[in-house]
Amino acid sequence: MAQPLLEVKDLSVHFETEDGLVRAVDGISYTVERGRALGIVGESGSGKSVSSMTVMGLSRASNARISGQILFDGKDLLNASEQEMRRIRGGEIAMIFQDPLSSLHPFYKIGDQLIEAHRSHNDVSKAQARDRAAEMLGLVGIPDPRGRLDSYPHEFSGGMRQRVMIAMALINDPKLLIADEPTTALDVTVQAQILELIQRLQSELDTAVVMITHDLGVVAEVTEEIVVMYAGRIVEHGSAETIFGAPQHPYTWGLLRSIPRLDTPRDQELVPIYGRPPSLINRPTGCAFHPRCPYVREAHKRVDPELAPAGNGDDGHTVACLLPAKTRQALWGALSAGSSPEEAREEVPIPEHEMSPSAHGATDAATPTGAAAVEEDGGAVAAGSSGEETHGA
Amino acid sequence: MTRSSLRFLLVGMLAALAFVVAACGGDSNSSSSSDSSSSGGSAQSTDTGGQNGGKLTMLASSDVDYLDPGHTYYTMGYDVLLPTNRPLYSFTPDDAEKPVPDLAESDPQISKDQKTVTVKIKKGIKYAPPVNRAVTSKDVKYAFERFFSANVGGQYPGYFQGIEGAPTKPTTGVKPISGIETPDDQTVVFHLKDPTAVAFSAALVMPITVPVPEDYAKEFDAKNPSTYNTHVAFTGPYMVENDSSGNLTGYKPGKSISIVRNPNWDKSTDYRPAYLDSIFIRTNATDANVAARQVIDGQSMILDTNPPSNILADLVTKIKDQYTTVPSGGYRYFPMNTEVPPFDNINVRKAVMAGFSREAARTARGGKYVGDIATHWLPPNFPGFDEAGGLKGFPDLDYFNADNEDGNMQIAAKYFKAAGMSSGHYEGNDEILMVGANVDPGKAQAEVAKNQLEKMGFKVRLRLVPQDAVYTDWCQVPSKKVGMCVGAGWFKDFADPQSMLEPVFKGSLINRSSGNINYSMLNDPKVDAAMDKAALATGEDRLKQWAAIDKMILQDAAGIPFIWDKTTLVRSKNVKSVPNPYIALWDMSFTSIQQ
Amino acid sequence: MASYIARRLLWTVVLLLVITAVTFLIFYVLPTADPAALRAGRDPSPELIKVIRHQLGLDQSLPSQYWNYTKALFLHFDFGDSFINNTSVKSLIFDRLPNTIFLVLGAAVIWFVAGVTIGIVSAVRRGSFWDRLLMGGALVLISAPVYWLGLLSLYLFSDDIGRFHIFPGSGAYQDAHGFFAKCWALMMPWLVLSAAFSAIYARLLRSNLLETMGEDYIRTARAKGLPERRVILRHGVRSAITPVITVLGLDIGILMGGAILTETVFNIDGIGRLAFDAIQRGDLATIQGTTIVLAAGVALMSLVVDVIYAFLDPRVRY
Repeated sequence: MAQPLLEVKDLSVHFETEDGLVRAVDGISYTVERGRALGIVGESGSGKSVSSMTVMGLSRASNARISGQILFDGKDLLNASEQEMRRIRGGEIAMIFQDPLSSLHPFYKIGDQLIEAHRSHNDVSKAQARDRAAEMLGLVGIPDPRGRLDSYPHEFSGGMRQRVMIAMALINDPKLLIADEPTTALDVTVQAQILELIQRLQSELDTAVVMITHDLGVVAEVTEEIVVMYAGRIVEHGSAETIFGAPQHPYTWGLLRSIPRLDTPRDQELVPIYGRPPSLINRPTGCAFHPRCPYVREAHKRVDPELAPAGNGDDGHTVACLLPAKTRQALWGALSAGSSPEEAREEVPIPEHEMSPSAHGATDAATPTGAAAVEEDGGAVAAGSSGEETHGA
Repeated sequence: MTRSSLRFLLVGMLAALAFVVAACGGDSNSSSSSDSSSSGGSAQSTDTGGQNGGKLTMLASSDVDYLDPGHTYYTMGYDVLLPTNRPLYSFTPDDAEKPVPDLAESDPQISKDQKTVTVKIKKGIKYAPPVNRAVTSKDVKYAFERFFSANVGGQYPGYFQGIEGAPTKPTTGVKPISGIETPDDQTVVFHLKDPTAVAFSAALVMPITVPVPEDYAKEFDAKNPSTYNTHVAFTGPYMVENDSSGNLTGYKPGKSISIVRNPNWDKSTDYRPAYLDSIFIRTNATDANVAARQVIDGQSMILDTNPPSNILADLVTKIKDQYTTVPSGGYRYFPMNTEVPPFDNINVRKAVMAGFSREAARTARGGKYVGDIATHWLPPNFPGFDEAGGLKGFPDLDYFNADNEDGNMQIAAKYFKAAGMSSGHYEGNDEILMVGANVDPGKAQAEVAKNQLEKMGFKVRLRLVPQDAVYTDWCQVPSKKVGMCVGAGWFKDFADPQSMLEPVFKGSLINRSSGNINYSMLNDPKVDAAMDKAALATGEDRLKQWAAIDKMILQDAAGIPFIWDKTTLVRSKNVKSVPNPYIALWDMSFTSIQQ
Repeated sequence: MASYIARRLLWTVVLLLVITAVTFLIFYVLPTADPAALRAGRDPSPELIKVIRHQLGLDQSLPSQYWNYTKALFLHFDFGDSFINNTSVKSLIFDRLPNTIFLVLGAAVIWFVAGVTIGIVSAVRRGSFWDRLLMGGALVLISAPVYWLGLLSLYLFSDDIGRFHIFPGSGAYQDAHGFFAKCWALMMPWLVLSAAFSAIYARLLRSNLLETMGEDYIRTARAKGLPERRVILRHGVRSAITPVITVLGLDIGILMGGAILTETVFNIDGIGRLAFDAIQRGDLATIQGTTIVLAAGVALMSLVVDVIYAFLDPRVRY
């Protein structure tokens, strides 16, 4: 068990397009242990889906430039042949998607779709595959599983369809299940059921799970470890406990504050993260988050932060933020006490030049471009309208 | 498609000729002079010395109208009728002027008072199976009587209503005609109301004279409409394939007609060589281009009628030996309504005749391959043509002769001046109503005519209407005051000049309510008197008198004849054939295949 | 489903009634030739025309003509007799209908197979040389008039008037006996008739398939580890082809009366030509008969299409 199940090392996925090079994923690393659950959190366009599609070998478009390593059970998937990948896809690594209605083929009975999934990886008869399919439907909690094999996807409710998707994903006993926004398209009540189901199956079947979501609330229930991605990079990485209890990155704070939580005061306003995700073609200079960061300092626009230990004694907790550790802690303290970002900025002095170890390695601070040269103080708000923004995401 | 629609244009036009004295001129004496066949297989002697045997295929764009000899009235019907039936008289390929006895034994005997015609018929002519008996004169009488019945619906009663006792309207059931007598089995006598025996005799080439056995045909004729059409009893060298009850199994309407030898035909009674063993007519070869190519490149085939004009030029240069042109036996003209200003002025009409380019009008129809430019009325290969000056026409008429085919504005100016228009152009304000078909070639022709008249200073209001309506709704209705009717034409039914000129230009025949075919409204007592006199003339004198009438009509400037149509006939390389002058199509009884 | 079909059939009957009425009206309102005069021939007497008018029933009032016609049609399945040659219209139609059906169905098979194959290849190789070549060729075929294409192919490949004597030429179909001889004789007409349709279908399938390949369930199919071939054929094409099949049904229905040019050039005795000739000749009985049969054909095909669609797309229920 020394070897992790999945080890992603310095993975970059760039796409060449007519508009320029899209850096969808830009050097990320994480590991997933057997039977464990990892959450990958970020807004759309943060690269979280692309990275997992790359793990599945499904981003091998002719214009894709992929580098780094993806070690699955010690084998580098990036160098695997298409045939090997096919064996792994749906066999050892399975995936479920956001919209179960559009993800199931509308013209085939779900039984046939399950059977196809099973038989493409196992040399079994149709009847055997059918038994297996019924068993799986039962396992995910669909009543009268055998009878429902002959139903079409449109005859199921949204939650039931996602159960079918899960059944189909798990039908070959995969070692890893990648769930890409599995609850986003579902009703809130159903969301909880599905998450519960995933969690239950994970422990029952000992399947490792990578849960991709923009919703921290989702990963909170399922995963032990969380990766926060922004603009193709990991900006914070830690245990679920840490990420929820003592997050260190302003972006994570933003994510946390944009969801309702039981442990925040009822009257506290939900604050969406200001601005839009950055262009992946023209990344903002310095810290990619700086145009949206309420605590930005002029220097942050020149120095590109790296992941570095958060400096709070938690070894597994890394963060890519240029703010000094104690400033971050103070800011989080203010925020978690109920202050708005503006109030927190007032309360906590933010040093102009002192930076965290994330600045390390960024030896050569980029010269500010004209477009990024904004007034010292206006910070995030003003920078939000800088040139890069026009590219949108 | 173009051919069939063209045909129907013509048909529509002719269908309109509701009442009538003898409708069209016959073609028996077209003095097949030098101009008759412009190339290839010109008319040879009767026996072309062909080889016996073989199967000929004819590609036709349309079906026969009827196989029933009492009912058919279209060229295609005649084309099948002629090798399979024996009318009293018929035409050989080498003589378009005078018919020869076919079922008849000899020329008709005409009484002195020109009111009785006696015809003897040959012995030894038998019907094809299943009738198998000899033809008698009573069969001819019955053929005439049934023609007038509603169930058969003969289409040219006008030619034969001169017989005493002939019905004036369709009869219910077959009614006897008192004026037809059969003193014995070989003799039939026609008694006429008026002394019109010459014209009547000329009409005895028509299919009405094909014998029909009453005993056999009775049951079919009792039906309405008669079903004899699919049970014809044949007398010619050939017959349409049938079964033992006489049902024509070889006739598939709209598809094909399968023709085989008549086992009861006796060669010694006939002038036809009948080389072929069988004839297959495909009556649905609809694409004219493809059909023409198939005939030219293929073996043992002929084409029913004109190939499309776009490949005519090709034919002339590339396959000289595989085509023949024959005059179709008719004229096309632009009538000028002598009752409607400005054409009520004879000098204006003459000026128009002088200035009008017939060449341009012919080009609009398709150019030199579609016909010769007319210089007068009676067409080539038709009795009276040579007497009327042949191709040269009447050189003494300075406003209309062979020299101003392309129009001559100087001569036109002379006549405009005579009409009091000193500028040499038309100066009045009267607008000419011109009516033409809304499809080509009628449309193109109308546009050319309009253009020419405007060039001469006329104001023209052109109305383009559906083909049939041109005649039925406009030109034939005098109250509509159509100044010029575009697309008018007159084609022969048999070879007699009277039928070619009288219906179209006799003043006493003008019908003021409807169905009028004297589009010029020509009402010249001198012309009428000359026609009455010429009707009784015989022999060479008859032709001369009608040729003189031809000239009188030109002098009255009643219209501009601009084209004498030609038919171009095409055959495969191994086919030897000659055209029949009566119908201007290949004569299948004289066609052979070189093996 | 059964009640749906029954309802549709009932509507078809109503539709046909309306169509006969409209054809009747159009025929009498538009200035075409008087059928009695046409039938009477070149030089008829007014009396004869009157007799024929009576024979054809044209002297009755319009409603009573219509009533008699529909009565005969629905009670005896009798279309009356052709105004031109007295043949029963029913025999005319049913003599020609099999030819047209054979022509159109054969061509449909060709263009469907060709169109779908080309469409798949083009979609899978999007942007490649082959894609551009095939789609460019398709554009040429779509813009080539059938009549021209027919003549060209006859002049090039027919065994009588062609440059290279390969295929049976114009009129060969009528002489062919036996199924395979007929198929062989129809080779060129099939290819010519299917040319433009193949091209249209190829383009249609290509764009449908490209769209489908972006669907989520295609991603699912890939995530299941299916071979790409199976993903495209079983998952992609299955969806992309459904609307094409609908179009196919309607095209077949419409072509039953609309293959006139092909029938003409290749001299095939088809129903389109029968209708065309009848219109030219003012043969009302045949016009009516062909119109009704063709309309029934189109209505029936659209019903068939709807039923097939229900089988193809389980989401559709009637």
